[in-house]
Amino acid sequence: MPIKSYLFPGTKSALIKFKLAIYLWLIIIILALVAVAPLNHLVRANLSHLYLGQPAFIPFELHLIEIFIAHQDFFQPYLYLLLILFSLTAIIFIFLDAALFGRMITSERKITFSDFLADGSRYFWSFFLSTLLYLPIFILFFLLSRFLAFPLNIWAGKSVTEWPVIISSNLKLLLFILLWTASKLIFDLIRIIIIKDQKTVLLALRQAWFFLSKHFFSLWGLYLLVGLIFVLISIIFLFIGRLISAEHLFGLVLMIILAQAYIVFRLFIRMVFIGFENRYYEKNRI
Amino acid sequence: MGKKRISRRKLFGIILLWFFLSTTISVWPEERAVKYFINVELLPETHLIKANETLRWTNRTQDYIPDIQLHLYWNAFKNELSTVAKESRNEGLLKRYQVKKNEGGWIKITSMTTVEGQDLLPSASFIAPDKPVNPDDQTVLRVSLPKPLSPGETITLNLEFEAQVPSNGLRAGFYRDGYFISQWFPKPGVYQEGKGWNCHQYHLNSEFFADFADFQVKITVPEKFVVGACGEEVDRKVNQALGKITYTYIQQNIHDFAWAASPRFLKVERLFKASEEITPEEYQQVANLLDLRPEEIKLPDVRMILLIEKQHRNQIERHFRALRAALKYYGLWYGPYPYRTITMVDPPFRTGSGGMEYPTLFAAGTSVILSKNVLSPEGVIIHEFGHNYWYGIVANNEFEEAWLDEGINTYSTGKVAAVAYGPGEYPLKFNGLPLNWLVKFPAVYDWQTDRLFSSTVVKLDPIVNFSWDFFNSTSYALNVYQRASTALNTLERLLGQKTMAKIMRTFQQRYRFCHPKTEDFIKVVNEVSGQNLDWFFQEFFFSTKDFDYAISSVKSQKLTEKISGLYDQSGQDIQPAAPEKAGKTWPKYETTITLRRYGEARIGPGVKMKLKVKFEDGKVEWREWDGQNRWTRFTFITPTPVQTAQLDPEHIWLVDSNLSNNSYTRLGPRQKIPTTTHGFFWLVENMLLTLGSLF
Ligand SMILES: [Zn+2]
Repeated sequence: MPIKSYLFPGTKSALIKFKLAIYLWLIIIILALVAVAPLNHLVRANLSHLYLGQPAFIPFELHLIEIFIAHQDFFQPYLYLLLILFSLTAIIFIFLDAALFGRMITSERKITFSDFLADGSRYFWSFFLSTLLYLPIFILFFLLSRFLAFPLNIWAGKSVTEWPVIISSNLKLLLFILLWTASKLIFDLIRIIIIKDQKTVLLALRQAWFFLSKHFFSLWGLYLLVGLIFVLISIIFLFIGRLISAEHLFGLVLMIILAQAYIVFRLFIRMVFIGFENRYYEKNRI
Repeated sequence: MGKKRISRRKLFGIILLWFFLSTTISVWPEERAVKYFINVELLPETHLIKANETLRWTNRTQDYIPDIQLHLYWNAFKNELSTVAKESRNEGLLKRYQVKKNEGGWIKITSMTTVEGQDLLPSASFIAPDKPVNPDDQTVLRVSLPKPLSPGETITLNLEFEAQVPSNGLRAGFYRDGYFISQWFPKPGVYQEGKGWNCHQYHLNSEFFADFADFQVKITVPEKFVVGACGEEVDRKVNQALGKITYTYIQQNIHDFAWAASPRFLKVERLFKASEEITPEEYQQVANLLDLRPEEIKLPDVRMILLIEKQHRNQIERHFRALRAALKYYGLWYGPYPYRTITMVDPPFRTGSGGMEYPTLFAAGTSVILSKNVLSPEGVIIHEFGHNYWYGIVANNEFEEAWLDEGINTYSTGKVAAVAYGPGEYPLKFNGLPLNWLVKFPAVYDWQTDRLFSSTVVKLDPIVNFSWDFFNSTSYALNVYQRASTALNTLERLLGQKTMAKIMRTFQQRYRFCHPKTEDFIKVVNEVSGQNLDWFFQEFFFSTKDFDYAISSVKSQKLTEKISGLYDQSGQDIQPAAPEKAGKTWPKYETTITLRRYGEARIGPGVKMKLKVKFEDGKVEWREWDGQNRWTRFTFITPTPVQTAQLDPEHIWLVDSNLSNNSYTRLGPRQKIPTTTHGFFWLVENMLLTLGSLF
């Protein structure tokens, strides 16, 4: 049973190394704080003494839009800041991925921050190269999704009702996500091989290609299964989030806890992916 | 069986025609200056319409008129040199209206003769009256008459024309075999005594202007088509040999005629029964508001016809509920709907013709997936029906003063939607799916969003402006719809609901079947309110001044009983004294509130900006400011510090572009700010994670 032999051990290793999710979470918090600080300043400077009234004459959300409209000149430099920050984040995430993969794949159970950083720097260069290699693969899959969407476009283009338009645009999105997961699987595997077999990027690609030619569908099936579980749990999170009212302090605290738990959950799922992919590769490589 | 049906229909037609003539003539006995008799056939294989039109036009002025000017609107889609195409290019919208091979629209008059048989085509030429001059535009045709038309004289022209339905025109269009046909026939402009023809070319942002007329239109289509049109269907003839059917529609006293045809329409009819829709208490309530007797505001029954796409059949009740609400409240507030039918068209898919008004007919528009908390299609149904009052009956020049119908009607739509439905959630969608399913959005009233969005264009254009002279389409739309509606909502709050209700009703009643202008509206406002409100229109309709009054600072500080320093009085040193008389308890607080006028626009003479200050012991103080200078400052000495301060606490000035700076409370909006900041924070965290997992 693939679930029993790969998914459970993968999840178990993610649980054992849960500390990694916390490291990543803390780093994301720092990045997000930098990104949100100017916006927070704008909101506080303009609305921290706002009297809403009972009931509010205008919903708070509209006040928010109002001050954004009134301070349009704030947004141009702010968007540049975000652009720089997000570009930096892309680089930082290559480092973090290197650290995460390194620590997930190692047989050591004990997790320390210094080991985490050491793996990050050890594999950074190969991970950076693998990202460069992944970009054309990503573009290829993107183009493939456009190509496969062709019949959907024809179907929607000829329709006399709106249904085919809505269905096809959502199917196209689904198709893109599916193909993206497939490309992501190749990418993950290359990185696992880089660490596990200590191979160069190109050799790792060759090895991943060779491996997937035999195991693609069962591994992809598992990938999609975990993906589906992730989506379902996300919907539950959103649903619970809708029920919480932040009108009172207690609700606000609850909302913050839930939201941050979701971020940790996303990171944890990322570790589960690496865990079972690693396990699968380990068991099936020749 | 087929034959029997025809003869029964014939009989039905004759009875209906007789009934129609006998009832409507009694309503409008006088003659209209324009009469149309049009026979049109739709040829779906080529998407062409072929028609002959008899146009009778009477000179109701004292001028001798040498020519007649006709709108040929569909030539706007003929090529990329038309004014519409050029204006679209300027806005980066050309692609939307770009002429595809064999799919651009056009109209060609193939014959034009007088009743005496004189050919007028040789004396016809295209003109482009508006600036910047565009000699390539072909949407206005000037026809010289054999001899000038004397005062009171009538000319009858016989025209034959054919026209290509545009595939992606503005408002009119076809997709496969679904058609929405509007602005499709040669139609004279409005002749204004002493000034000549008012006949503008078709612009990207402009709508229309025409004289009230009587129409008889015969529409021939293949038998499978379901047809809807302005006015009343009085006859239907099937030609079985050709597989065609001809419908005859008649309507008096309207200024445009549109129709739609599609095999995918369902036609549903209902009766608006006034006695069932409005209770005696409701009549009494509105009568009290208007200072009228309930008998004076009684509403007639109206036949409601819905043409809805089969894909939306589950929304039939939703459509009728909205239309009934619109018929009820527009009728009660502004006066009875004067026609016997209203046709509501869910426009054929992909014809680009939704959300548009025509007299006695309108195009709404909906989607197969709806969210129950979003007022769509209700908003568009109420709005487009409402145009029967503002545009249809009170027929302003939409080219020159679009706010008079769009602004007044946006204001009216918001009021009807608010009483009939309450606030609605904003319609946000992703891939055709409502985002409201995932995220909770606040429910808002139209006036709340109208004022918000209109603040973005205040400094670009005045509300009263030629529609092609606006900075861009967004400025046109937001100024003419939302900003005008916001100004009217402000006026209502300034004058009170009762006065405003009387203003609107007076304006509607006085200018029924006329072409009023902005001055006429202002005159009614001044007359009914008993005030001179010219300043209001100057500041908010004719200017580009921003209106923003604010509380710029609030300071409460504790006063000490002992005051240090030397105080001179007539050369002698005296003991320092407390600023207030003894007997009052200490400590005391000095609160200073500074008000500022950040915008150029100001409140008018005699009007005061009010300030309400509440202190922590529950005491309330009011102050007034004439708002003419850039700032003013008020000081209060009270036993407790300030709790809240509100500028304009009665919420009159919706035109204020920033209401966030109109109030003060020490604690602020409590949980709202951390909730918001955390919301952004969480969003950024997720974006970072998504970005991180992409590569
Ligand atoms: Zn409108």
